[in-house]
Amino acid sequence: MAVPGFVLFFIFHTYPALQGIFYSFTDWKGYGNWEFVGLKNYLNVFKDDRALDAYLFTFKFAIISTILVNIFSLLIAMGLNAKIKFQKTLRAIFFLPYILSILIVGFIFNFMFSHLLPQIGGNLGIEMLAKNILGDPNLAWIGIVIVAVWQAVAFNTILYLAGLVTIPEDLYEAASIDGAGVWRKFWNITFPLIAPFFTINMVLAMKNFLMVFDQIVALTGGGPGKSTESISLLIYRGGFEGGEFAYQSANAVIYFIVIVLISIIQLRFLEKREG
Amino acid sequence: MFKKIAMGITAVALSATVLAGCGSSDEGNADGTVTLELFSNKSESIDTYKGLIAKFEEENPDIKVKIDAPPEAETVLKTRLTKNDLPDIMSIGGNATYGELGRAGVLHDFSEEEVTSTVQPSYLDMANRLVGPEAEGVYGLPYATNANAVIYNKAKFDELGLTVPTTWDEFVATLETVKEAGETPIYFTLKDAWTGMIAWNSLGGNLAGEDFAEKKNAGETSFEDRYPEVAEKMLKLIEFGHKDNMGVSYGDGNNAFANGEAVFYLQGNWAIPEILKANPDLELGVFALPVTNDPAQNKLVSGVDVLLTINEDTKYKEEAMKFIEFMMANENATTYINEQKAFSAIEGVFQEDPVFEGIKTNFETGAITSFPDHYYPAGMGAENLVQEFLINQDIEAFLKKMDSEWDKVNNR
Repeated sequence: MAVPGFVLFFIFHTYPALQGIFYSFTDWKGYGNWEFVGLKNYLNVFKDDRALDAYLFTFKFAIISTILVNIFSLLIAMGLNAKIKFQKTLRAIFFLPYILSILIVGFIFNFMFSHLLPQIGGNLGIEMLAKNILGDPNLAWIGIVIVAVWQAVAFNTILYLAGLVTIPEDLYEAASIDGAGVWRKFWNITFPLIAPFFTINMVLAMKNFLMVFDQIVALTGGGPGKSTESISLLIYRGGFEGGEFAYQSANAVIYFIVIVLISIIQLRFLEKREG
Repeated sequence: MFKKIAMGITAVALSATVLAGCGSSDEGNADGTVTLELFSNKSESIDTYKGLIAKFEEENPDIKVKIDAPPEAETVLKTRLTKNDLPDIMSIGGNATYGELGRAGVLHDFSEEEVTSTVQPSYLDMANRLVGPEAEGVYGLPYATNANAVIYNKAKFDELGLTVPTTWDEFVATLETVKEAGETPIYFTLKDAWTGMIAWNSLGGNLAGEDFAEKKNAGETSFEDRYPEVAEKMLKLIEFGHKDNMGVSYGDGNNAFANGEAVFYLQGNWAIPEILKANPDLELGVFALPVTNDPAQNKLVSGVDVLLTINEDTKYKEEAMKFIEFMMANENATTYINEQKAFSAIEGVFQEDPVFEGIKTNFETGAITSFPDHYYPAGMGAENLVQEFLINQDIEAFLKKMDSEWDKVNNR
């Protein structure tokens, strides 16, 4: 049974990926004739300050969002795991953002940032909020972080919940008898026991945020200026709109290697901590 | 047993529907009609196209036309080009994307077609210049044209006792007057980076010279050389905006201007139907942005907004040509420009709407120049660079950046 699966995976995944790597050594525009240019595209990526800016923005965004998502989803998961009323209903409600399309969420938030927030800020006399934050190159990334985190928390909450239910209740009871407080219980029981889930959540969140695309398209389109231009957006725009298919393929290959490296490092580091 | 048979039937039926779904775009329909795909890059014109298509289908019952106008149309078109899946008929803008398609050899050559002679030679020339000398031929027919203008709110204009300025200094003085009266002079919508290019093109088209792109590619000139005045005047204009120039998008800007929140709006003629949709009673006027202090030097920036072309490899070239001929007929071209508040590239078809009184003479006397950014390399992303410049306001660094980005993209 593995053969058809392998064939499908190869045709729809491996083959296009190999094709992309192949074209990154050519000067193909996405159509028409092409020639081999060797490593020229790769060398140009390293000289391209626009690509460098995109890398810096993407990393800043991904690191901050990963941390925030993990904090919020762990808090929500613990809340939902506690003995509360309507536990199941609430779990379903907190999962909703994950089902919604990112683009739609993005457009709704775009409306709020453009109309609601400035109105509220204006009425309260807060200068910083009276303008659309998506129009300010120093603040626009915050808007994207808010939307990305809001949406991503749902999925990571589910993973943390799965981890929390595996912790036997008697551990907490024993700790209570020994006089441990809430804080102590969290650091000495909860957190060590969900360590594998923490690892997977960190790696998945980081990888997803490094590939941020939809949120930016829906909110700023990479602007103002180039202040929120992520690497995925740069590759897509340059590759398909700018007729730089080969050049951006090289960029994509480099980015692929970077993401793989980061994931491996994260796994190594966090797994060591688990043990 | 029964279950197995039922499953088998379902499987066959399913695969048949899937196959039928794949085949319908290539093969003729079962009833002998042909379905053409019309790809349009303008969401604004969908209704107009639908009306014209209905009329066409009535005249040609065996041809159906399906319109597709996706967002980010140029990207979609290029993606489809990489998949060798171009639509039958394309209605696209006369810009760098069209030039690339023309050079890629995927479009029909119209040089021998009869309809080509009905297009105004100046616009035909503008379109051919986009393709460049590498590919001889006419790969698209300019259909509708546009103009970059200053749109103004007539009621407010009269209230403040203003007159239409004919020189740059007069225009700046007018803006000062408006500002002093406590009104917003210009409504900027720079959250959408492309809207900054309206002023940029009006200034660049008049100040940088029509041969800029050609000379720049030959290494004979640069942005640093020819664009300082353009950059300075951009910064002058932005002084007369509202409090959140970078935070308002195009759609919101149209509504705000329609509600009388500013006196001037730097936009193309395409914004007028949108503004009137939000406020049908608003009285609007237009004039060409007076860029220099010599009125005789100030030209209107006008380009090919819609260009019709056919996929060279379409199976239904004859039918597609029939549709293009239908669209180019005087009567239908008039319908298009009237509904879209556009101008026609077809000889003898004029826009008579009183809103455009202020730029009518430009068309009659030919005081027209083309959009400079249509000749910039597409990968450069000029609009985001301009948007960034309007925030940082550093002329020298910006012009250097424009030069280096241009060279970088061309060297790839």
